[in-house]
Amino acid sequence: MDVLVNVMHGFGIALQPVNILYCFIGVFIGTLVGVLPGIGPISAMSLLLPVTLSGTPESGIIMMAGIYYGSMYGGSTTSILVNIPGEAASVVTCIDGHQMAKQGRAGPALGISALGSFIAGTFALVMLMLVAPSLASVAIAFGPAEYASLMVLGLVVLTFLTQGSMAKALLMACIGIVLGLVGLDSITAQPRLTFGRIELIDGIGLVPVVMGLFGLGEVLLNTEQAIKRDIINAKITQLLPDKEDWKASAGPIGRGTILGFFLGILPGGGAVVASFASYALEKRLSRTPERFGHGAIEGVAGPEAANNAAAGGAFIPLMTLGIPPNVVMALLLGAFVIHGLQPGPLLITQNPGLFWGIVASMYIGNVMLLVLNLPLIGMWVKLLKLPYNVLFPLIILFTIIGVYCSSNNVFDVYVMVGFGVIGYFMRKFGYEPAPLVLAFVLGPLLENNLRKSLILSQGDLMTFVERPISAACLVLAVVLLIAPLLPALRRKREMVALDEGA
Amino acid sequence: MTDQTRPPFRLNNSELWTGVIGIALGVFVIRSGLKLKLGTINDPGSGFMLFYIGLLMCAFAVTIVLASITEGGPTFGSRWEGASWSKPVAIIVILSAYAFALEPLGFLISTIPLMLLLLRVIDPVRWTLAIPLAVLAPLSVWWVLKHALLIQLPSGMFEIG
Repeated sequence: MDVLVNVMHGFGIALQPVNILYCFIGVFIGTLVGVLPGIGPISAMSLLLPVTLSGTPESGIIMMAGIYYGSMYGGSTTSILVNIPGEAASVVTCIDGHQMAKQGRAGPALGISALGSFIAGTFALVMLMLVAPSLASVAIAFGPAEYASLMVLGLVVLTFLTQGSMAKALLMACIGIVLGLVGLDSITAQPRLTFGRIELIDGIGLVPVVMGLFGLGEVLLNTEQAIKRDIINAKITQLLPDKEDWKASAGPIGRGTILGFFLGILPGGGAVVASFASYALEKRLSRTPERFGHGAIEGVAGPEAANNAAAGGAFIPLMTLGIPPNVVMALLLGAFVIHGLQPGPLLITQNPGLFWGIVASMYIGNVMLLVLNLPLIGMWVKLLKLPYNVLFPLIILFTIIGVYCSSNNVFDVYVMVGFGVIGYFMRKFGYEPAPLVLAFVLGPLLENNLRKSLILSQGDLMTFVERPISAACLVLAVVLLIAPLLPALRRKREMVALDEGA
Repeated sequence: MTDQTRPPFRLNNSELWTGVIGIALGVFVIRSGLKLKLGTINDPGSGFMLFYIGLLMCAFAVTIVLASITEGGPTFGSRWEGASWSKPVAIIVILSAYAFALEPLGFLISTIPLMLLLLRVIDPVRWTLAIPLAVLAPLSVWWVLKHALLIQLPSGMFEIG
C-alpha cells in the first residue's frame, strides 16, 4: 500500500509540466545520441550535466536518466538499419537486426525492439520500486568496511568484463583511482599531485575526463577509419510485429528482461553485458540455433529487452548504496552531487519526492520513447544519412561547450584535450577507458571508506573479513582476479568481455 | 612455452613500451605517496592509498611487460595499419592551438576558425556548407548560452561575445 501511495506522490512530481518537458528533452536527446554512431549517452550526459544546474534536482536528474534509457532505445535503430551500433549495448542487435532489415523485415525488427524495450523497461521499473526501498533499509547497516569492499568488487567486476588483457584493465583502474585522488585530501586537507596548480586543488573534473576519453577520443579514432555505412533505403512499413513474430519473441523478451535486470544490478555489469548474455542464452535455448546471425527475431527481441531492463536495474545500487555500477551511473552520481544530494540508503527516506519522482518519470519516459521510436522512424533514418565529416566538428564543438560550462574554466578545456589524446592512444594500444572512469569516481570514496574503517578498527585488517557482506565481496573479487589464470574460465571471460567505450 | 614456439624479442613491441610507461607511472605514484607520508595502519596518512596503488600499478605493468616478452605483441606500425593517422594528428594540433587561443581571443573569434578548419582540413566538406556551418553553429550556441542559460563564454581581449 505504501508503495502505491509513494508512486502516486512520484507521479504528482513527474507530471508537473516542467518535469514532463525535461523528461521529453532527455528521452529525445537519448534517442538522438543512441541513433547517431560515434556519440553515446556518456558524452551526451557529460555535455548536459552543467545544464541540470539551472533547474530543480528532480528536473535535472529526470533529464539525465531519460538520456540513458533513451539511448538504449535509439541504439537499436542504427544497428538494424545501418549495421553500426549506435551505442555499445546495441552491438548484438546488429547481428540479426540488420539481416532482418536486408530481408525486407526492418519494420518488425524495429517494432519488436521498441516494444520489447518498453516491456523490459516497465518491468525493471516495477522491480526498482519494489527492491530499492527494501535494499535501502538493509544498506543502512553498511559500514565503511562494507562500502570499501563493495567498491573493490565493483572495480574488479568491471575489469573482469572489459575486453582484452585483465592486467591492462586493472592498470587502468589504478590510474583512475590515482587521478581521482588529485586535489585536497578529504581527511588531512593536504594537497596531492596538484603540481602547484590552483585549478587542481579541487581535483580533476569528471566532465573533462569523460568528455576527453569518450567524446574526443572516440572522434579521433573514428576520423582515422572510413566508417562504412550500409543504410537500408527501402521504405519501412508494418512496424507492428505479427502473431508469429510475437510467438517467437515472447520467451526471449521475458528471459532477457529478467536476466538483464539482475545483470544491471551487479556492480561493473550493465546493459552491454546483459545484451551479450541474452543473445548467448537465446542461441543456446533455440531449437534452430543456425538461424541466429541470419535474421532471427529472437536475436533482436532478447538482447534489446535485456539492455533496457539492465538500464533500469543499474539505478538500484546507485539509489540504495550510492555506488554507481557503471560509468553512466557515475555521471548520474555527479548530477546528484552537483545538486548537493548524496544518493545512498537515506535518499529514499530523506528525499522521497526525488526518488519516486524519478521512478514515475521513467514510466512516462518509456511511453514517450515508444511514441518517439515507432512513428518517427523516418526522421531517425534521415538523420543517419548525416555524413561523419559534418557530424564530428559539431561533436567537438559541443564537447568544448560542455566542458567549459561545467566549470567556467578554460583549464578544463586543456584537460579535455589532454584526455582526448590519452583516450585515443589508450584505445590504439588496447587499454579500455571504462575501468579508468569508474575508478576515477570510486577512488576518493574507496580511499575515504578504507581509511575510516582502518581508523575505526584501530588498524585491524580483519575488519574486512569478519563482516559477512564485506567478506563475501572480497571473496568474489579474489575469485574474479584469479579466474583468468584458469584456461576454462579465461575462455568464458573472453566470450562475455565487452567494449564499454564503444 | 618452449624456446621453439616463443616469439623473437623485438624492441618495437608496443605492449612492452606501454608496460614500461605503466612501471614509470607506478614508480612516480609510489614516490608521491612516500613524499606525502604513509601514516600508520591505525591512522593512514595522505600518501597511504597512493603508495599502495603505485605498488599495484607496478605489479600490473610488470605483468604486461612479461607477457609482451613471452607472448610477443604488435609493433607500433601495425597499430596504425590501414588507418590514416594524419587526421587525428591534425585534429590534435588544431585543438591544442584552439585551447591556447580560446581565452585571449574569446569564444567566437577562436571557434569559427576552428570549425572551418575541422570542416575543411580533415575530410573536406564543400565550402558552401562549411562556411555557414562554421559561422552559424558557434553563433547559435553562444546565443543560447548567453541569453537563454545566462552562461558567459570567454569574450577575449576584443570583448566580442
